[in-house]
Amino acid sequence: MSNEARPEVTTAAAEQDSTPVVSLRNVRKVYAGAAGPKTALQDITFDVGRGEFACVVGPSGAGKTTLLRTLAGLAQPTSGQALFEGTPLRSVPPGIGVVFQDYGRSLYPWLTVARNVDLPLRVRGVPRAERADRVAEVLGSVGLADAGRSYPWQLSGGMQQRVAIARSLAYRPDLLLMDEPFASVDAQTRFELEDLILRVRQEFGVTVVFVTHDIDEAVYLADRVIAVSKSPGVVTEIADITLPRPRDQITTKADPAFARYREHLLSLVMNR
Amino acid sequence: MLRRYSLTYGLRLAVLAAALGLWQGLSVAGVIRSDEFPSMSQTASALSDLLTQSTLWSAVGQTLEGWGLGLVIGAAAALLVGTFIGVNGFAYRSAIGVIEFFKAIPVIAILPIGLVLWGATLTMKFALVAFAVFWPLVIQVRYGVRSLDPVVRDTTTVLQIKGARKFFMVILPSAAPFVATGLRVAAAVALVVDIITELIGGGSGIGERILLAENAGPSDYPQMYAYIVVAGVLGMVLAGAFAVAERYVLHWHESQRAAKAEGQDRGYSERQVLVIVA
Amino acid sequence: MSPSYLASLRLAGRAATRVWLFVVLFALWWFWSSGSKSLYFPPLSQILKALWTQWVTGPARAELAASLEHLIVGYVIAAAVGIGIGALLWSARYVRVATSPYLYFLYVLPAPVLVPAAMTLFGIGFTMKVVLIAFAAVWPTLLNTLDGMHSVDQVKLDTARVLGVSPAGRVFRVVLPAAAPQIVAGLRNSLQVAIILMVVSEWEASTDGIGYYIVNAQQSFDYVGMWSGIIVLAIIGTVANLLFVGAENRVLHWHYGARAVEGTR
Repeated sequence: MSNEARPEVTTAAAEQDSTPVVSLRNVRKVYAGAAGPKTALQDITFDVGRGEFACVVGPSGAGKTTLLRTLAGLAQPTSGQALFEGTPLRSVPPGIGVVFQDYGRSLYPWLTVARNVDLPLRVRGVPRAERADRVAEVLGSVGLADAGRSYPWQLSGGMQQRVAIARSLAYRPDLLLMDEPFASVDAQTRFELEDLILRVRQEFGVTVVFVTHDIDEAVYLADRVIAVSKSPGVVTEIADITLPRPRDQITTKADPAFARYREHLLSLVMNR
Repeated sequence: MLRRYSLTYGLRLAVLAAALGLWQGLSVAGVIRSDEFPSMSQTASALSDLLTQSTLWSAVGQTLEGWGLGLVIGAAAALLVGTFIGVNGFAYRSAIGVIEFFKAIPVIAILPIGLVLWGATLTMKFALVAFAVFWPLVIQVRYGVRSLDPVVRDTTTVLQIKGARKFFMVILPSAAPFVATGLRVAAAVALVVDIITELIGGGSGIGERILLAENAGPSDYPQMYAYIVVAGVLGMVLAGAFAVAERYVLHWHESQRAAKAEGQDRGYSERQVLVIVA
Repeated sequence: MSPSYLASLRLAGRAATRVWLFVVLFALWWFWSSGSKSLYFPPLSQILKALWTQWVTGPARAELAASLEHLIVGYVIAAAVGIGIGALLWSARYVRVATSPYLYFLYVLPAPVLVPAAMTLFGIGFTMKVVLIAFAAVWPTLLNTLDGMHSVDQVKLDTARVLGVSPAGRVFRVVLPAAAPQIVAGLRNSLQVAIILMVVSEWEASTDGIGYYIVNAQQSFDYVGMWSGIIVLAIIGTVANLLFVGAENRVLHWHYGARAVEGTR
């Protein structure tokens, strides 16, 4: 299990600070369901280092969304510890960004794209001129420089998810959590968005925890893949992905190492 | 779960007891003038007396007569016309302006005409109720008839289902939730209009009883308020009956399934209870 | 025939479709009533004349103004109280749970039954009418505000927490806008109720208002005047509806836009 930051991604600050950005220790989450208590997560333990791109994979029902909500501070573990930057999560800390799967429900339809992206800056008291610059910058990074005055529902699914990404990056979080963000878009758009998130991770130097059920996507994006099983919800394996960067949809996926990772993880996930 | 139920009901009972107690307290202390507003105990005893007398029940019956007849006539007409303008675009475009215009008229404006034509009779009551119910319901029926999911429509075409069979097997069930909502709203409107015909038009029923009690002076104010309570309870009973019927008939529809799931969580479902007017 | 000529012909045709029934009904009324000797169904021409001489240039304007005053004051109070209390109750869970059946009771109570009681308490003037209108019209808005706020998507609330919006900010920036479509539906229902109560409250022993005018005309056998009053009410109802829809389309343009797109996906 490696906690080192990947060499290509380091910034000066990252090399100084070796506290893992995220640290989960024996996290267990039980909630009251309609038919009695449900154990979503049994025993989850892993760290995510600064600047790392970690993918969490598992079958449906493996509690991945619960895990992500716990990482965000939206839910508290029933037992065990969830730490962000070394401190236990009690509520949602300001240094976290979240991109939800259902962009249609997460973006606010009564605000334009620019206002949606602007919102976290407004509540943080960023002065107006600076807000406008940052909104323009982050929209440019996701390739939506001209979409500011449109409403989210006027855009395609892929573009909407880019708005969601831009909004979560606008306030420069230390950690970006993504909950199956590309599951609701078509395959072609998915590839574009995968490359986008890698580019953006490079540009903003942010640590990413990316939850997905798509093994190909996980192997393509990750520095490390964390496989979570269904019942019980435990970490079954943590695999370092040493494929070269920068990744490419065609050449990386043609690499025999990619196929080996894929085979290994797929058999792990499918057998559980 | 049982704990949550009992907490909910306990709180509600407490609120009721507190409100009634406050009412009685204010009356006894003279803060509420007895010649303007009866005390809680007076009203309660008037109510319990009335419940054993035929005057109250016959008044309820008379109100329900106008309400029921008007609702049935108005709804039947709305279903026919609404379906017609739902399937025929020309009919819709011709009629919609007129429908919207009549829908916007407050029914009470028609009351004098009703009195001129029929006097203070049952016919006047149900005619006005039917008039009030028809216009909004006809639009709602049309909306329901046209609400067919494109995927369902295409599936129906591929399965070669056409004509009358298509109407009864596909279009009508698809429209049913909208029609049900429309009927629920119509029932409430019908009650209000019926009461208005009694209060102002001289028809017989609960409204009439309230007017009589008011005219008789402060000694009869307890009866007046007792009848007001009866009117409210009647409103709740009718709304509840429609909600239950809706749940039964539409148990298969997702709105009812969602509401049922919610109800299990909470002990009741506000979604079913609330009349939401679109 | 040029394309633009055909296009304008088509437009005219569409307009005609929507209007012909009106015209036919109006003409029917006009011609059927023109030779009328009946006291109760005077000629339409006379009614229209009375509309002008009484309501546009004449003494009934005072009644129109009085009614509108009652309506507007009562409705604004109902809207403000409905949204305000609805929002407060949304945030106070136990109070809400404890009081909701009683609020519902007041909502389904047919409001006109309160007219006689209101008269005993407030007399027959301005106060009685405004109190009655406000009291009756508050419930649809209140209950729909409550339900609308309650039904806000959890994802929107989670997003707000992550974005760092404060609890108070969440109410104004997220919950209220998200609940707006339903709040507006409640407001529309409240307007209908307010108009009904406006007229009902002016019917018995009133000294001003359109309701008073109609009753007075009827009792003095001035059926032309009575009919003119009825038409004025119809116009008020229509205009109020149009204004409301216009305002709604502006405030909720984003909602209708999003719904339209949804329908095509």
